[in-house]
Amino acid sequence: MRLAFWLYEGTALHGISRVTNSMKGVHTVYHAPQGDDYITATYTMLERTPEFPALSISVVRGRDLAQGVSRLPATLQQVEEHYHPELSVIAPSCSTALLQEDLHQLAAQSGVPQDKLMVYAVNPFRVTENEAADGLLTALVKRYAVEGPKTAAPTVNLLGFTSLGFHLKANLTSIRRMLKTLGVKVNVVAPWGAGIADLKRLPEAWLTIAPFREIGQTAAAYLEETFGVPTEYGTPLGVEPTLHWLRSVIEKLNTIGAKEGAQPIAMPELHAFSLDGMSAPSGVPWFARTADMESFSNKKAFVFGDATTTVAMVKFLRDELGMQIIGAGTYLERHADWVRKELDGYLPGALMVTERFQDVAKLIEDEMPDLVCGTQMERHSCRKLDVPCMVVCPPTHIENHLLGYYPFLGFEGADVIADRVYISCKLGLEKHLIDFFGDAGLEYEESSAASGDGSIPVSAGTATPAAAPEEGGMMWTDEAETMLKKVPFFVRKKVRKNTENFAQENGESTVSVEVFRRAKESLGG
Amino acid sequence: MLQVPGEVQILKEDNVTHSFCGLASVGWMYQKIRDSFFLVLGTHTCAHFLQNALGMMIFAKPRFGIALIEEGDLSKNEPTLDEVIAEIKTDHNPSVIFLLSSCTPEVMKVDFKGLADHLSTPRTPVLFVPASGLVYNFTQAEDSVLHALVPYCPVAPAGEKSVVFLGSVNDATADDLRAEAEELGIKVGGFLPESRFDRMPAIGPDTILAPVQPYLSRVAVKLERERGAKTLHSLFPFGPDGTRVFWEDLAREFGIEVDLRDREKAAWEKISRQTAMLKGKKVFLTADTMMELPLGRFLRSAGAEVVECSSAYINKKFLAKELKALEGVRIVEQPNFHRQLEDIKRDRPDMIVTSLMTANPFVGHGFIVKWSMEFMLMPIHGWSGVFTLANLFVSPLDRRSKLPAFEKEVWLEGVMPAAE
Repeated sequence: MRLAFWLYEGTALHGISRVTNSMKGVHTVYHAPQGDDYITATYTMLERTPEFPALSISVVRGRDLAQGVSRLPATLQQVEEHYHPELSVIAPSCSTALLQEDLHQLAAQSGVPQDKLMVYAVNPFRVTENEAADGLLTALVKRYAVEGPKTAAPTVNLLGFTSLGFHLKANLTSIRRMLKTLGVKVNVVAPWGAGIADLKRLPEAWLTIAPFREIGQTAAAYLEETFGVPTEYGTPLGVEPTLHWLRSVIEKLNTIGAKEGAQPIAMPELHAFSLDGMSAPSGVPWFARTADMESFSNKKAFVFGDATTTVAMVKFLRDELGMQIIGAGTYLERHADWVRKELDGYLPGALMVTERFQDVAKLIEDEMPDLVCGTQMERHSCRKLDVPCMVVCPPTHIENHLLGYYPFLGFEGADVIADRVYISCKLGLEKHLIDFFGDAGLEYEESSAASGDGSIPVSAGTATPAAAPEEGGMMWTDEAETMLKKVPFFVRKKVRKNTENFAQENGESTVSVEVFRRAKESLGG
Repeated sequence: MLQVPGEVQILKEDNVTHSFCGLASVGWMYQKIRDSFFLVLGTHTCAHFLQNALGMMIFAKPRFGIALIEEGDLSKNEPTLDEVIAEIKTDHNPSVIFLLSSCTPEVMKVDFKGLADHLSTPRTPVLFVPASGLVYNFTQAEDSVLHALVPYCPVAPAGEKSVVFLGSVNDATADDLRAEAEELGIKVGGFLPESRFDRMPAIGPDTILAPVQPYLSRVAVKLERERGAKTLHSLFPFGPDGTRVFWEDLAREFGIEVDLRDREKAAWEKISRQTAMLKGKKVFLTADTMMELPLGRFLRSAGAEVVECSSAYINKKFLAKELKALEGVRIVEQPNFHRQLEDIKRDRPDMIVTSLMTANPFVGHGFIVKWSMEFMLMPIHGWSGVFTLANLFVSPLDRRSKLPAFEKEVWLEGVMPAAE
């Protein structure tokens, strides 16, 4: 038994509904106590769905359990009557899974034809969101995909694009744009927007693109084994990975094309991939070489997220922006070995693998990186510490579900990420100037809240009494506090923390000017 | 549809869907009782719910958490929470810990009462709060919390008559209610709950319990039974109509006859623009927060036509006066959502008061909606809440009238491919 506040992954039911909510004609029926359909709100609120998500709940009440009554057959009948889905996926929740009911038999009592029902009961105490989503997608592909003739022109399947995926639509658009530039058509996108009929014709594609380690790659592997549809597993995040991905996609399609007697696809001129069709497809290679970005060589980054994003972001930050990686981690233990293998040589220490956001917060507090790429949890942890943070993967917040075109994949994605890194991190050239001249004139950044009306602020020096320790902090003498104020505001918290750590290690209980000086010397300014 | 016997017609259907379980109460109760900690003995589902659905994504140091039941814990006879409790005490030093039940441990038949007693110390009591979705809806666990607090309300001696308001409201609303009562000459004994655990009100045989939230019937009954207190059965103090009746009825309990009709009239005048807009509008309330009956009654008094007022559970005695005021309106308990959806598509109400789960899809179908949960979070009580209450209903109408025409075939394309 452990105390948890926030969890990175959602439940198995959440994973299941992410797949079915993506699909046409597929309904999920939760066999669960009242309130477990809260999941519906994640779609209606985050994705702002203009239609009712195809999710119904067959409510299990305490009284029903006592009386041995089940509402499942009646609920299935109602779903059939009102929505006529091609398939209803029946899933228990954590509590009803313990009841060890025969859901197949209960479902059969509804009288709804068996071929329109599917019980998907995973152990909710063992299987979580991503595994359940990947598993259900695979089960659906196995159930419906049938051998068919290859499409005449080269086509691809895009697998793993799922409701509530991070920047889902923008990433899909970015991939579609690149494929269009290659002259390659999309056979099926699944599960996002796919119906049962679409799943049936998955084997007609020449190639499956499955860029996400978490969802879609198992189904892709099945299509490869069973129907001989090859898979591109690469993730086109960053300029070099995108180029590599394009070459690999072309090569795989041309291998099929050779057998089909089709014209080989050639790599277009790179400007063909740009938004205006006549410029470099990404600004990142030049941006990374500009003079003011040189300061990024000293910037330390920490990355924490799902498997796909953690790997791709670490590589992008180091290989393309030239930053230092001080560590990385993932909350997906089942993919940890893959992440370790992919990041071999990239990390100074071991990969962090944890489901506890407090562990990650502790590491960030200890290391005080210049940039954290993480989830909403890290954003909150970083806000407290005043460490720059950008959210790069789930779990997300409504503010990560925006209207604009902000892909993370493809050339355009590289630009979006580089821009976010740049505006998230503290300044470059400006930092040197401020270090040199002090922060004269910039103090308002901190005190503006108190003097928002534009009146002359009361001098902080006279208004502040003897330094009381900040929460969890140490006593500082007035003189040391004054000295700390001379440090640029945006690194002040970090300097305060480092100095206190130094004082503690040296057995000091109060930070005096002398301790502060020694700390500066010891910590290199 | 079953019909519940009794004088007021309540249609009873088969489900409560598209609403939250009792754990949702944590969202406001932990903020109300400031020296408390709310510990849910639950699963990943409970944590995911609190994290996502309530939009309570991450506070610096939340005073609520989940003692997480993982696979290995399923085989254990009784959960051991001693370490979790120790961690909470170290980090938060709460005056009281509320231990909330959830579905999985209830299926496991965990002895919550025994568990709470075992963990309780004189310094930090651990109080059992039944909250699971197997039994309790959204707001009902507040009733459970108050229930658990009863032993910590001192016994008020007989002979001194005072009112104790039942239900958590924010401090400003509490101040207003207190001032209003005192102005009428009513002695105020306090609020259950107060904002600190050690300041719960004294309750005794001469206490009048004035419920200010419509979902607290169990604690009222318990206090009647155990303390001999008397519950005021009036309208709830929402809107000019409810507020007048509430104060007049409460004053009467204290032998004070007041006539607040002028005050009510003035309050209606203050919101005449709003009632002009609501007049004749067809409003449909789906079941969510259990505040539906008083809200429906206010809308009706304001001139709207309430086409259906549904609620998860309806305690006929506790809500008797509200039910009477709604006579003629279709009242449904445990409504079937599929049926409601068909009725709504056919009847085309002008506004739907509905949950977070269904609001945007109704808008997608061309309806004007109001989030039911907003009524929980806004100060709508008493005279001072009249304006806010009326505006909550009117603002979606106002807003829609300001936006240009919407061609949904154009602007919804690609938003939800699954539905196309």
